[in-house]
Amino acid sequence: MVRITSDILQSVVKPARYTGNEWNSVHKKWEDVSCHFALSMPDVYEVGMSNLGLKILYEILNNREDTWAERVYAPWIDMEEEMRSRNIPLYSLESFTELNKFDFIGFSLQFEMCFTTVLNMLDLSGINVWAKDRGDDEPFIIGGGPCVYNVEPVADFFDLFLIGEAEEALPELVEVFCEWKKEGRPNGRGEFLKRAARVRGIYVPSLYVPQYDEKGMYTGLQTIGEDTPPVIYKRIIQDMDSVATMERPIVPYIDIVHNRIMLELFRGCSRGCRFCQAGVAYRPVRERTESRLRELARKMIDVTGYDEISLTSLSSADYSCLGGLVDNLMNDFSCEKVGFTLPSLRIDSFSIDLADKMQQIRKSGLTFAPEAGTQRMRDVINKGVTEEDLLKATGAAFKKGWKTVKLYFMIGLPTETDEDVIGIAELAQKVVNHYKETTGRKDVKVTISVSCFVPKAFTAFQWFGQNTLEEFSRKQMLIKEHIKDRSIHYNYHDAHVSLLEGVLARGDRRLSGVIYSAWKNGSRFDGWTDQFDESRWTRAFEENNIDPAQYNIRERAFDEVFPWEHTTPGVSRAFLKHEYEKAVAESLTKDCRRGDCTGCGICQKLGVNIVDWGKERA
Amino acid sequence: MPEVVSYTYRAELTKDAQLRFISHLDYAALVERAICRAKLPVVYSEGFNPHMKLSFASALALGVTSESEYMEFILSKDLCQPEVFDKLSSQLPDGVRLKALKKIEGKHKALMALADEARYRISFSTANPLSEWETAVSEFNNAESCFFQRKTPKKTRDIEIKQYMIGQLEIEANDGLIELSASVKITQQGSVKPAEILEYLRKSSGSEYDISNVEIRRTALLCGGRNLMDVM
Repeated sequence: MVRITSDILQSVVKPARYTGNEWNSVHKKWEDVSCHFALSMPDVYEVGMSNLGLKILYEILNNREDTWAERVYAPWIDMEEEMRSRNIPLYSLESFTELNKFDFIGFSLQFEMCFTTVLNMLDLSGINVWAKDRGDDEPFIIGGGPCVYNVEPVADFFDLFLIGEAEEALPELVEVFCEWKKEGRPNGRGEFLKRAARVRGIYVPSLYVPQYDEKGMYTGLQTIGEDTPPVIYKRIIQDMDSVATMERPIVPYIDIVHNRIMLELFRGCSRGCRFCQAGVAYRPVRERTESRLRELARKMIDVTGYDEISLTSLSSADYSCLGGLVDNLMNDFSCEKVGFTLPSLRIDSFSIDLADKMQQIRKSGLTFAPEAGTQRMRDVINKGVTEEDLLKATGAAFKKGWKTVKLYFMIGLPTETDEDVIGIAELAQKVVNHYKETTGRKDVKVTISVSCFVPKAFTAFQWFGQNTLEEFSRKQMLIKEHIKDRSIHYNYHDAHVSLLEGVLARGDRRLSGVIYSAWKNGSRFDGWTDQFDESRWTRAFEENNIDPAQYNIRERAFDEVFPWEHTTPGVSRAFLKHEYEKAVAESLTKDCRRGDCTGCGICQKLGVNIVDWGKERA
Repeated sequence: MPEVVSYTYRAELTKDAQLRFISHLDYAALVERAICRAKLPVVYSEGFNPHMKLSFASALALGVTSESEYMEFILSKDLCQPEVFDKLSSQLPDGVRLKALKKIEGKHKALMALADEARYRISFSTANPLSEWETAVSEFNNAESCFFQRKTPKKTRDIEIKQYMIGQLEIEANDGLIELSASVKITQQGSVKPAEILEYLRKSSGSEYDISNVEIRRTALLCGGRNLMDVM
């Protein structure tokens, strides 16, 4: 057991990140369980504690008598220094046990920039960072989360991955482990991994060897072992009502990023924005019933004492019975002063009415994501939103008293012209003018936040060559030059980070050396602007003799084999290619939950159906 | 508007070692959530952004434990003391213990305005001999004034410590640890933190004394020398 003295805690910021024992945290006797599972997020406590997936798995695993799931997050720089200088290993927040004593460490991989933090956490735990070096007494390192749709860049650091939704697959894996352990761990860790590979949705990278041609182009995988599946399809929950889920979330002692109850209305979003990986990865849409949602809300309020519920989903306003649900929830909790928030607003007046009803008077800013500045560009990305929609929605908001609006955009999208880029500044100006016309006042604040587009695996734009640093910088300045009004506030992202993300998002296994070098050069918390240091990565690419432009800038051929295609959400490649062609032709594709099947192939491949209660009722 | 009948309850709580590193605001939030979970019919403020009417006597510095924190909350129903006590107790996390609870009748001053004295025990280990510390303490006790530089992220200023001291600073050795007992005034103009007294002593001889494993405990919060539970 690790002891953290008060001298250490007194010298670091936010010491309660490291002390655990929060309300609803689960405590068991170490000897009483056969599977010890550390659930981790390679980020600080406040970020990790806010992740819905980890909260769900914490409860599902802890509901098993044979398993104890504990939590561990990345110590911030100051705490890491204290731990390294005193030889304190990384430990879990429930039993304060050294991480290398666990059977599994599961990392939730939310975005590529967390990779070096994973390595750093393994190192802090005294665990070999390369999977091939791990001995029989070391934990199995398993990854999950959105990054699994291209995990090749980190495949060499992990023993296994879980592709897709883990509610059912993770318990299955635990059973395989307990069985193997009961047998006396026959043939060491290799035997367990072989058995694990037979669990649907589990990817064991050591059983797959990537092949390259003489030019260094990836040509495919060679599988090891007879029953190793060549393709691993994501696991998916058909019935969101009956699946075990979060009912007793941990209540932290300090403020965290999402310090409220997350009520997951539904999974999936089939609006079909062509840049969006989540839109493909979580298909199809599966809603919870209103009665189940009200039941969950009641349970969670009762056991936490929280006063706020966030109605969480990729696009919450698309919940088919949202109006009725909100009315009923507000009624259910009217005596308890529980507030409700809608994290993702659709660009229409229905959303504004709802936000108005839910927020009552607190007119904090509204956020919309038109994503692109011109209609042409929005048609390319299949963002089914018109300028009229945006002006109507913001106009409705202005009439109701809002005066701050935040708009999200991207630059560097396929077929983008300077006109499209300048269109971002122009659209912001139109919103400002609209405020003046609607209210007769000038006290509006329109913030435009412009990020650099990163093409992702399993999207229509997976073939697209990312813009160069020079292109991004030029476009960022172009927008700046065209902003004339002082009511418009302009933020843009560091293109260096987006370009690196672009390399990792469509990288292959050869990048593991680069990630290792970057970590050795001091990289960790790369997602934190104040911690990211471009030079560590530049050196890492040089040290490994790898040209990053091959991965991010290069436009890929339609017949090229991709290194991520074996861990798949089940989408058909032909569908994605067709979507890319439609994008170039500026042609729209409709949302399949409300119209006809658009042929992405996921439902058929995985044997699942759309669950839309509004449609059911109609 | 009809007058709403309400019932004020005052509670004495602890903040134990495992919670010493959460801030006063976070401590208040955890008590608020415990009251929610206890399903007590608590009264909220009026207005568009209602919040629980909860007040504390005196904020505790980060890292300090306490045997006696005081808070008041208001219920809309006249519940009997044992019921409120048991319901709230059952929902408090490890590290907070409800020691006493009573319904306050009639007019009374705000809790915040009542507390005028805090008592602390400060224990630590040190490489310096006891005699050196005893000298420092006795010089402190005999001095007319002692100035300490208080640094906050925003500014640095000199504060005079002795004006806040009640009685003598006491020192004793216990199991290889040194224990100081201090009683300080809480005034509207401010007070002195126990950690500041210790820091002053540590540097008072000219050379810096060694200290480690510092534990500071608030043992009492008083009004005119009486327990806050007994003062209206």
